[in-house]
Amino acid sequence: MFPSTQQTYETNIRLPFSFILFGVVAFIASEAMLLFSGTSLVQGAFRIPSVWAAMHLAVLGWALMVAMGAMYQLVPVAFLTPIWNETLGFVQFFITALGIFLLSISFLWKMEFVFFAGLLLMLGFVLFFIQMAMTLKKQPAKNIMTLFVSTALFCLLLTVSLGIALSFHFFSNSKIADHVFMLKTHLLLGIAGWFTLLIIGFSYKMVPMFSLAHGFSMTLARYVYTFYVSGLAVTFFSFFTNSSALFASGTGLLLLGFALFSYHIVTILRKRVKKKLDRPFLFALFAIAIALCLHGFAFLFAIIGNTAGFGVIIYGYLFGWIILSIVGYLYKIVPFLWWTHRYSQKIGKENVPTLKQMINEKWTVFACGLFFISFVGVILALVVSSLPLFYAAQGGMVIFSVLFAGAIISVLRK
Amino acid sequence: MELKEMVMEQLRTVYDPELGINVVDLGLIYDLRVDDGVVSIVMTLTTPGCPLHDSIVGGVKRALAHMEGVKDVDVQITWNPPWTPERMSEAALRQLGHI
Repeated sequence: MFPSTQQTYETNIRLPFSFILFGVVAFIASEAMLLFSGTSLVQGAFRIPSVWAAMHLAVLGWALMVAMGAMYQLVPVAFLTPIWNETLGFVQFFITALGIFLLSISFLWKMEFVFFAGLLLMLGFVLFFIQMAMTLKKQPAKNIMTLFVSTALFCLLLTVSLGIALSFHFFSNSKIADHVFMLKTHLLLGIAGWFTLLIIGFSYKMVPMFSLAHGFSMTLARYVYTFYVSGLAVTFFSFFTNSSALFASGTGLLLLGFALFSYHIVTILRKRVKKKLDRPFLFALFAIAIALCLHGFAFLFAIIGNTAGFGVIIYGYLFGWIILSIVGYLYKIVPFLWWTHRYSQKIGKENVPTLKQMINEKWTVFACGLFFISFVGVILALVVSSLPLFYAAQGGMVIFSVLFAGAIISVLRK
Repeated sequence: MELKEMVMEQLRTVYDPELGINVVDLGLIYDLRVDDGVVSIVMTLTTPGCPLHDSIVGGVKRALAHMEGVKDVDVQITWNPPWTPERMSEAALRQLGHI
């Protein structure tokens, strides 16, 4: 026996995989449900129960569950601190998974029950929040990533609280506050507050890691945080005061923050040693470019007062930024997780595959190409209100979700 | 060949699975001492938050564990001085397309 000189940061693989596999199944289900909601969607009817069910399954069942699973894996390695309580992680998984399942069912069949499913979900999120707060508290030296991730978690908690309040409106037929104000804030904090801040925070770890970049400055990250969080605050106040000038200022600050982030990523990549980047990682970088364009459109629409276009922007933001980022990073994270499980103890004893050999990169290129074409197709179908185009494009998205599940399963067979 | 040289050669079989480059060519080995069959290694990783931390360090220990003449292996990780690309061999830089 040789003495161990290291503290282990690896999480029990079952924990992140439970979240990721649930997410993959939820993704297929959500895409199929959206396909059957085509008639309403192309007419601009986004606020109907079947679309709510599909979007919550995509956002919570897929994106959020995968983000949580990835956090159980990434937080220990990125922040050099082990997960506070793994058993609590499994309990949190079952409660959250059940909550999401019941929420989707309630949207479809009994809107009054959304409130109860939401309460169960809230319990799951509170447990996750406690888990991450206790884990981050143990981090020896806090950094800018800690700030991004902590603020993202705070936004998640507010988003869920607002979601519960919104569902209470349906349950009780009485109003806690203005429904539209709460809905807008729920969307803002959920997608830009939680997801964007989380992805930005972890990008600061993953981009240098996957590109082997060294010697870059992190000074800009402080300005990214300041402008983006100010943008969230100003946009929130614009909803509160119903001020279009404040709304334009808020989206402007969000654009400025995100543009700085995009520029910062370019400066980091300029310092990379690994010249040829892996394809899945390029998709995650491509998502940043899409999000930058969408922030630009949001600002433009806010200035000209075109609020009708925000439905399409939110769809584009969810799929082109959040989901594409998650897909790109998952193509890297899943092989890493499985490799660690299968080969970590064999390294140094026998030949083991590299992480790149764990996944068929050509297939990822094909799948992500299909994703992008389908994504553009759905956007166009929504803009020109074309049902045939929507069916073709959303059909492509369903095929992509199945291909993605196949890619994950193929990794697990190696 | 001396045991120290043999140990260094053996370390070339331990690869960073993300980059596909061994720990010696990556310049991760800062110091290697062999004293009466006890191997002491001071090494680093490309980044403090490297997710392959445990795998690579464990791999170094396992690669040397059964070598003839090696009685014990001690691996210490250090972040000071931090790893820089200048520590990589020419072969490693070429493999990454840097030169």
